[in-house]
Amino acid sequence: MQTGTIALVLNAHLPFVRQPDYPRFLEERWLFESLSETYLPLLRLFARLEAEHIPWKLTMAISPTLQAMLSDKLLRERYSSWLETQLELAERELARVGSDPVQGPLARMYHDLYRQNLEDFNVLHGGNILGAIDFYFKKGRLDLLTSGATQAFLPIYRCFPEAVAAQVEASVVSYRATFGRSPSGFWMPQLGWYPGVESILAAYGLSYSVVSTRGAMLGKPTPKAGSYAPVACPNGFTAFVRDVAATEAVWSETEGYPADPAYRDFYRDIGFDLPLDYVGPYVEQGQIRTFTGFKYWAVTGPGDDKKPYDPELASAKAVEHAENFLYNRARQARKAAALMDRPPLMVAPYDAELFGHWWFEGIQWLEALFRKAQGTSELAFTTLAEYKKNWPDNQESLPEFSSWGDGGYAGIWLEKANDWVYRHTFKMIERMIELAERFPNESGLRERVLNQAAREVLLSQAADWPFLLRSGKSGSFARKQIEDAVTNFNRIYEMLCANTVGTEWLTRLEKRNNIFPSINYRIFRRKR
Amino acid sequence: MNVERLNGLSLEALYALAEKMGLDLPAGLERVFVVEAVLEAFDEDNEERRASGDAAIHIEEKKFSGSELDEIDASLDAAPCIVGRYNETVIHCVPRDHEWAFAFWDVRDDEQDLLKAEGGFSGFFLRVVKNPSHDGKGSSGFDIPVEDDDNHWYIHLPEQDTVYRLDLCARFGAKFRPIAHSHAFRTPRSVLTTADDGLEPKQAALAGLSGIDHLMIQNLPDRHPSRILGGFDD
Repeated sequence: MQTGTIALVLNAHLPFVRQPDYPRFLEERWLFESLSETYLPLLRLFARLEAEHIPWKLTMAISPTLQAMLSDKLLRERYSSWLETQLELAERELARVGSDPVQGPLARMYHDLYRQNLEDFNVLHGGNILGAIDFYFKKGRLDLLTSGATQAFLPIYRCFPEAVAAQVEASVVSYRATFGRSPSGFWMPQLGWYPGVESILAAYGLSYSVVSTRGAMLGKPTPKAGSYAPVACPNGFTAFVRDVAATEAVWSETEGYPADPAYRDFYRDIGFDLPLDYVGPYVEQGQIRTFTGFKYWAVTGPGDDKKPYDPELASAKAVEHAENFLYNRARQARKAAALMDRPPLMVAPYDAELFGHWWFEGIQWLEALFRKAQGTSELAFTTLAEYKKNWPDNQESLPEFSSWGDGGYAGIWLEKANDWVYRHTFKMIERMIELAERFPNESGLRERVLNQAAREVLLSQAADWPFLLRSGKSGSFARKQIEDAVTNFNRIYEMLCANTVGTEWLTRLEKRNNIFPSINYRIFRRKR
Repeated sequence: MNVERLNGLSLEALYALAEKMGLDLPAGLERVFVVEAVLEAFDEDNEERRASGDAAIHIEEKKFSGSELDEIDASLDAAPCIVGRYNETVIHCVPRDHEWAFAFWDVRDDEQDLLKAEGGFSGFFLRVVKNPSHDGKGSSGFDIPVEDDDNHWYIHLPEQDTVYRLDLCARFGAKFRPIAHSHAFRTPRSVLTTADDGLEPKQAALAGLSGIDHLMIQNLPDRHPSRILGGFDD
């Protein structure tokens, strides 16, 4: 008898890092690495499960910025070239350590990985990853959510409903353009929820999302089923609730599965370990050490003295951890089920890039989950859409302002290292609303200018930038993204005030920041 | 962070990194000692990060990390290269959590000149208005003096689940004049809307199974004796 239901939710997101002005750009590697280690391996997993008729269900959110980059011709070409370079390095690694009994098989594993990626990307998918993902949506295996246009942390912008609506509208338009239909579910960036956002989401035909456990438990009134059932906001919008135990088992950096000593270590990489004379062609500008993806060591422990990575041992551990996950979820479900009038739901949202990229064996863990669950009748996997269809009536409760960040509110995106950002983004929003009101019916060149202004506003709001400013990683890159967006926007604003438009500059900017090609600046008009 | 990665940095970059991490290293240290000091500081930092329990966010960082520039980058503390103000009279206030809100403001140059030219002008202050009504008045509030060159503060707010508004005011002796006000905003709750002992037994058990203890969701509101703890800056 089924006692519980699990909804795995993977949020696939990267900020818009396309840099056409440079022949290669460090941050574009974020996309290439995620493609190589997460998105393509996930598609191979889906294909394997389908081929073997293993039942599986998964919910995925694909952010509009990621959609834009995965659809972009230039980035597709660059990824293909990058894979060729990775294959070249794999061949050099085979020559260097191929005869080594420990590192040799690993070098062959990486060679196989990049060769397979190249073949899958160019031949199997024809560069169209999104089409492949959509295939599984149409088969009923995947539920596909959209998200904020640039993943703005929405609670910070709540005093500008026009800006929040613009983030939602641009994302819905992007989803329609990509998948040819309207989305029903919305991933709250960083699970950043505030009371009132449900009205904006519902206005765009969106009907469900996920909130943090904190947000739900502090909701009004307190949910009767805790995190084990979604709640219905007063307007009918469904808020699914993150399950703490299911997510912590994977998320915890120190105690989660990925910290197991047998798994591949994320940090030790030949890009840092080998002489620059050797790795130079495969790192940035021949001299800035970067991850190459070639890693030969296991997590082992906290120190630098690492044991060699053993893929077979790690695979066995991934299976063991999948069994452990299911065992604990079944225990959890049994306890909760005794207190409920329906099978408890455990919603486990993760960043997609955790699987494969950081936790190298994460895809194997997912595979083992579905395979092992097949043999039990106690737990079943579902998607958020499927659950909502099966259980349309839920307790009315309005979740509280919250996020999945440190402290549970906005502390990550609003602190000393990044608070300066909001003086600019708020001003841009005010000015953009002013422009949309002043020029409601523009066409031709002026419409193009206004549309570009709207793009720059959205780009400036990405929560990734304050996040990176806080973490110190790629902080100067993040700062430059914000400064560029502010500078571009202010220049447009001044051009419009002076009634002069630099066509050449505008065209260059449109080509560089080509996200949201069908944006309509009027999304920033005041809602009446 | 490991020895290999630090060894890939120049001595200059290592010193810059050490300074950024708050280490005051004497000049002329040999490379090995600088690396050792930085590693120790990183270990301490990691311990703090682990203790913060913010695993989801730490893991999210992984998809962005990728080069030794991460460390060099962390050593750069350049100020933003864009205009710092828009010469307008404005105040915004954004709730950060159940206790703190971030306020930033500005006063237009010509307005500042006019105010200063008026007799008795003695500076600006922020008025925190609790439960502001349509006529602009609130049920209570308190004032925070600010310096002329201040333009942002973190404000400690005494009550959760309460609506506040910030007014930027100019003081003239015993009188004052509001010159800008923020949107009204509500501080979020950190306690259950239903008191813990008011939960039905099954509900309480499910709340426990949902991890409210792990999330440190309180059953009773904290009472803070201090109303203002000031900003974090300098």
